Amino acid sequence: MTQTTVKPSLALGTLHTGRLPIPELIALVVGLGCFFAFPSNLGFMTEIVIMILLVLSLDLLLGYTGIASLGQAAMFGGGAYCAGLFALHIHNDPLLGLIMAALFGGLMAGVSGLLFLRAHGLSFIILTIAFGSLTFAVANQLNWLTGGDDGLYGYIMAPLFGAFEFDFFGRTGFLYSLGILLVVFYGLRRLVNSPFGLSAQGIREDRQRMTSLGFPVYRVMLMIYIIAGAIAGIAGALSAQTIQVVGLQSLSFTMSAEALVMLILGGTGRLYGAVIGTVVFMVVHHYAADLDPSTWMLVIGLMLIAVVLFLPKGMVQLVDMTRNKVSRLNGGAGHDNSK
Amino acid sequence: MKVTKTTIATVILSSSLITTAVADTIKVGVLTPMSGPFSDYGQQFSQAIEAYQTQHGRSVNGTEIEFIYKDLSGPNPARARSLAQELIVRDGVDYLAGFVFTPNAFAVAPLINQAKVPTVIFNAATSAITKESDYFVRTSYTLPQVSVPVARYALDNDIESVVTLVSDYGPGIDAEVSFVEEFEAKGGTVVETIRMPLDSTDFGPYMQRAGSLNPDAIYAFLPGGPPTYSFVQAFSDNGLKEAGVTFLGTAETQELDLQTLGDSALGLVTGFHYSEAHDSETNRAFVKTLKDADADAVANWASVGAYDGAHVIYEMVRATEGRKDPDAAIDAVRGLSWESPRGPMEIDATYRSPIQNVYMRRVERNDEGNLVNFEFDVLSDQPDHGWNP
Repeated sequence: MTQTTVKPSLALGTLHTGRLPIPELIALVVGLGCFFAFPSNLGFMTEIVIMILLVLSLDLLLGYTGIASLGQAAMFGGGAYCAGLFALHIHNDPLLGLIMAALFGGLMAGVSGLLFLRAHGLSFIILTIAFGSLTFAVANQLNWLTGGDDGLYGYIMAPLFGAFEFDFFGRTGFLYSLGILLVVFYGLRRLVNSPFGLSAQGIREDRQRMTSLGFPVYRVMLMIYIIAGAIAGIAGALSAQTIQVVGLQSLSFTMSAEALVMLILGGTGRLYGAVIGTVVFMVVHHYAADLDPSTWMLVIGLMLIAVVLFLPKGMVQLVDMTRNKVSRLNGGAGHDNSK
Repeated sequence: MKVTKTTIATVILSSSLITTAVADTIKVGVLTPMSGPFSDYGQQFSQAIEAYQTQHGRSVNGTEIEFIYKDLSGPNPARARSLAQELIVRDGVDYLAGFVFTPNAFAVAPLINQAKVPTVIFNAATSAITKESDYFVRTSYTLPQVSVPVARYALDNDIESVVTLVSDYGPGIDAEVSFVEEFEAKGGTVVETIRMPLDSTDFGPYMQRAGSLNPDAIYAFLPGGPPTYSFVQAFSDNGLKEAGVTFLGTAETQELDLQTLGDSALGLVTGFHYSEAHDSETNRAFVKTLKDADADAVANWASVGAYDGAHVIYEMVRATEGRKDPDAAIDAVRGLSWESPRGPMEIDATYRSPIQNVYMRRVERNDEGNLVNFEFDVLSDQPDHGWNP
């Protein structure tokens, strides 16, 4: 896709002048196609869209900056509770709530990142797990505020743009989430190809070298961590707004871990890898559980083992293999697959 | 936009019309854990529903009743909502059932309000659930419903001071709060309230603390499974049992865990609405049907919740003669009373939760040498003490 062919000198903002946002258009067409093809699965498809956002935020961290985190659910759940509480006590406009959740997710990431990003590798992962457990425990303890185990409920969202009710079929919910996903995806695509994004990729490749080149490595990583936190917050807010209940599980370790599994399944370091991984994981899960509600986990397990064994770089490797074949046929130079 | 919206609405509407037109089968979507750590619930539910269908037939006045199971393996509102939506829109179910965890029930409340789908809760025990939708009916119990009678029993039996030990999560806190309120209001003394992290496995320190306060009894609430085993073990290991402290609980000695608890469970006193050893014809028939289908089957509160849930669904289908009339269906079970395996029970007309006896039980060995919850006292017709309109 486009990001691998972009030249390093490309500045933020040049991508959209004179060029159509092809990937977003494709996603829009596919999304709308699914909207019409599966009108009875809109709830499930909204779940997928929201999960894609969370996995994208993780891809920005792990795939583009080399920061492995197992605590992304902290920001997801934080955003979800923020949006839920905002709707319950202050204002129930969805977009306003979304902005608040993005800010809150960013804030959580900013505060924790300031501290955690001093650590590297394994110790960083452990800190993110600890942060996740901490937020989980806090939400559980603040029973009066969050509803604890019962979940946060009882708020009703105002119609989107004052016109579109959140209906029972989930039409508004799906189109709203899809729209937000496209905006975030476009923003991310510009971000990772901007000089800032490329310096993040530099940090992923060789952190020490970037430091000695004089890049403000810590600052770049903190910025990326905050942006990823805000995106996770947005995903959480969408979940809170379309389901109208926030449960403690939105902050759970399982949530963080599943997001990471989906990312690795799809392939890190490509935005569309996050999309493919999430879609494949959730669709297989859904249909396997449909066929056999008690032993579907076996199918998921086998699929993961197969992918890790045969496609160690994730499902994007399939895309690469076909593309390399094509470019070899054309006598092209091939692509750098390490990204 | 307008055109597309109407088209979809027409397509969906017409497809749902087709299903109503040929509805000689009524479908019931059951959302329950079928995989993972809580899959026991799914097994208990499906065995009990199967037992009900074996006893009462698979159809009501010619309308066949089909149960469709969906795996909802833990508290997950998003999954609950999307599964419920698919069941309603795609599979055309007329009733929903199951629901082990409270947030999952809350998540479907807006859906069933809009689609008018009567929903029978087999387990989730938070009082406030049935407030969120008029289409909710519950056949389990609520935590205050069983905690308050235990407090009253204690007061009537010369227990003046209690230490409460509960797992620190929603249901544990609900149980603690309603017990303490009742116990103190009637003149008892709660010496200390201890909340233990949900994932604790070593209860020695908590028991020592409780023992050092010399209470007449401890009141405990824990989720089932391994934590309960070590908790009960710690109760006797730390000398509380020997010192004559009474163990008061609710579901700690539930039948799925009971044999594993072993001798350390002997003498524990619990107050709950169902015991497998309940002495009635209905219960013996229920347990026998369960064991005929699977010799290893065990009846516990989850089974009886699903069994009575199936009864409520059958009654709703009977009252509406298989037509889709959700309001009439719900009205038909408001105030419905019958003889359940647990004893007499009634669905309250206002809050659509059971009014039922709470039995005081003591763990004993029966003639075959198995541990049972032997019922020795009954507090009749307990309402939902936690209902708060």
